[in-house]
Amino acid sequence: MDSIVGHQQQIRILNAAIEHNRVAHAYLFDGPDGIGKKLVAQIFARNFLCESANGCGLCASCSQMAAHTHPDFFTLEPDGTAIKIDQIRALQPQLVLRSFAGRGKVCLIDSAELMTHEAANALLKTLEEPTAGTLIILISSRPDSLLSTIRSRCQRVRFNRLPSRELARHLEKALTISAAEAKVLAAVADGSFEKALGQHQDLYLKKRAGLIQSLSALSPTSSIQTFELAQALKAEKDTIDEILNLFDVFFRDLLLVQHGQAEDQLINQDLLPLIQQQSRQLSTPQVMDKLEAVARARRYLSRNVNLHLTLDHMLMQIAHA
Amino acid sequence: MSYLVLARKWRPQLFDDLVGQEHVSQTLKNAITTDRVHHAFLFTGARGVGKTSAARIFAKALNCQQGVTTTPCGTCSSCVEITSGQGIDVLEIDGASHNGVDDIRELRDAVRYLPSQGRYKIIIIDEVHMLSNSAFNALLKTLEEPPAHVKFIFATTEPHKIPVTILSRCQRFDFRKIGIAAVQARLRYIAGEEEITISDIGLAAIARHGGGSMRDALSAFDQVIACCGNEVADEPVQQILGQVSSQLLLDTLAAIVERDPPKLLRLVAQIDDLGHSFRQFCHQLVALVRGLVILKVIAQPGELLDVSEGELAELRRLAEPRPLDEFQRILAFLLKTEAELATSSFSRLTMEVALVKLATLPTGIDVATLIQRLERLEKKLLARVDYSAPAAVAPPVVSEGHGAAPAAVSTSHGADLPPEPPPLPEEPEEKKPDAQPAEEQSAGSWAGLVAFVRNRQRPRISSLLEQASLLTLELPLLRIAMPAKFFGLADSEMQQNLQGLAAEYFSVPVTIEMIKGAHGEAQPPSLHEERERQETDRQRKLRENALEHPLVKSALEIFGGTVEKVTPIDKGFV
Repeated sequence: MDSIVGHQQQIRILNAAIEHNRVAHAYLFDGPDGIGKKLVAQIFARNFLCESANGCGLCASCSQMAAHTHPDFFTLEPDGTAIKIDQIRALQPQLVLRSFAGRGKVCLIDSAELMTHEAANALLKTLEEPTAGTLIILISSRPDSLLSTIRSRCQRVRFNRLPSRELARHLEKALTISAAEAKVLAAVADGSFEKALGQHQDLYLKKRAGLIQSLSALSPTSSIQTFELAQALKAEKDTIDEILNLFDVFFRDLLLVQHGQAEDQLINQDLLPLIQQQSRQLSTPQVMDKLEAVARARRYLSRNVNLHLTLDHMLMQIAHA
Repeated sequence: MSYLVLARKWRPQLFDDLVGQEHVSQTLKNAITTDRVHHAFLFTGARGVGKTSAARIFAKALNCQQGVTTTPCGTCSSCVEITSGQGIDVLEIDGASHNGVDDIRELRDAVRYLPSQGRYKIIIIDEVHMLSNSAFNALLKTLEEPPAHVKFIFATTEPHKIPVTILSRCQRFDFRKIGIAAVQARLRYIAGEEEITISDIGLAAIARHGGGSMRDALSAFDQVIACCGNEVADEPVQQILGQVSSQLLLDTLAAIVERDPPKLLRLVAQIDDLGHSFRQFCHQLVALVRGLVILKVIAQPGELLDVSEGELAELRRLAEPRPLDEFQRILAFLLKTEAELATSSFSRLTMEVALVKLATLPTGIDVATLIQRLERLEKKLLARVDYSAPAAVAPPVVSEGHGAAPAAVSTSHGADLPPEPPPLPEEPEEKKPDAQPAEEQSAGSWAGLVAFVRNRQRPRISSLLEQASLLTLELPLLRIAMPAKFFGLADSEMQQNLQGLAAEYFSVPVTIEMIKGAHGEAQPPSLHEERERQETDRQRKLRENALEHPLVKSALEIFGGTVEKVTPIDKGFV
């Protein structure tokens, strides 16, 4: 388990459970996306199934786990956009049978909140009293959308976001980027590896500064700039959510500076002069209005409103706020 | 033997073990002792309050080899089989995965056979709300009159999803949420049996975390034990349960009340560093603001508030300086934020923005104060009409509290119309409650009505009215003659609109009669005609005045010309 970044306390609890033979039959791992919940779950499963109960990596069970061929290890993932009742029904007879290697069976359900209502209900009885030696691990970033009857049957293990300092240190090593860049990337990614290492890296590292510069240059008197920026953003259709997040984050920085927060709380630390200048020019209600404009745009986009119109509208509101 | 979680290990095995459901266990026991056991039961209630356990205990009680009893022995083969879920006569069915009509058909076939060992064949269908509609219907006849050896027990958390036809065939038992004290007592008992040392404060925190569900509480207890081992200290409990410390919450609340955004932002950073979920934080904050609201309403909240003495004193101090309204506003805002946090992609930002907004909101004024102010203003206005010039503007006032039609307040909207008798100033209605509205209804009121209609942005109706002539105006009757060429335009819709507007203007219901005016008949002139006449009068006067002007006279003399046309330069000037 040493290869996992962070989550030391959670790992300690899980290992202690295996050691003292107090492994519950159902766990719910919850915490933000992309911080390593599934990784911890897989390693927990490996240790649970391991012949010497410590994830030796040498026994037959461990090598089967490493090769993803373990007969007692099942993973359920969303089929399309949801985990369907047929998947749960297919799983149930598997879990009733005795384990192949004799140590027990493990079922890992990823993105458990995506279970359909029927699927979740079908799981209830199994989750409450599975056959002896069965371990079911639910993983969810939005545990509040699970049925309360599901939550009540599981032992919860909370995973926290990685502190950005720790994430930055690892990013610096993994991506061979400068310390300053790593710091910004870690802050923007909000403690999530998936975000930091994902496909939007380029956006966060290279395009961010330019976007924010042009955003802060908008003025109520010249609409040409506004429409040009909208045009430019329209081209970035696939990453528009992330771009809106960046805008949010920038306005939040302004708010923080206005209320005298320390620099290291800021996310766009490399743009400090711009942030300071802007925060002097704008009042708090103005920044609030701008944030509201972004929030509204996000709401419209989630309802399939025309992208171009939404962007025009949002930028005009930001310029005039 | 693999480990059993506490909730399973300590599943109640006797009616007396069922905590907090005495009303259910007593009824079931009485049914057994008096030999009046129904054939179908429905157990409903929130998660983890003992529905499935009660169903199993009841099954054991009915099938125990010691005879039908309120205290199943737990040692006979029947009891043991039911406890381990292997009995042949007790079928425990997962209603959610076997929810089709075919599953029910199979079941119907199975219940026809007599039980193999026990007295009864007992069918327990758990999560019964997930049965399909046709499955429910397939069950109806069997459920109404099952064979004498069959008992049905349904358990569900969602009774509203069950068809009424099923509900009416069952005896229904509603399981209550379990009180915190009862949960805590049970936890204490289990802790003793499991040889775990934990203080009452820690147990209370766990019990509260369960929210009335025994299984939730036991799952949390398991989690705490998994983390701390057999010696549980107080501090880690709150941390493991993910609860924000009450001091942080009180600080946040104080910063909101004292309007201190920088402090709020620092607190948010602190909470983030501690790794709390902002949703949980917001949730607890809402609970605390609820406390403030309660304190504002009830001096001695007693059991309504579940807080320690120190916290209560602090809450009282915070509640003191602000009105109830403000706390309700904070509460509403935080509730909205809590919902937003569920979908937010960057919860820290959402929380920060929400708190800064709360701390910078302008203080609100409650509606009652606003209405009082408005009433004062109204009185002042009415009083001014008394003394000021007749032209003073007073819009029609509809004051509340006067059931009778208030007298119409004359208006000077007609001021831009040709000269007319100035409207009489209206006495404040309080002084003249019996004033007959009719006495002010001179011709001026007709012009006033037309002006009122025009001011209401109804140009079409008002221009039609200008062409019409007034025949009689004896409220509530209003007779109007409409020239033949416009009569077609005055359709029923227009009449209806006019009726509404007139009722509003005169403040009494008005009946409007519209007749077609023919040419040549003697009719009072319409407003339009009158204005035209006055206009020509004015033209004539203007011409006379101009011709008499010494400058014009001498010009005529010098040049020997004639006056062709007189045009006013500025209408308002002459």
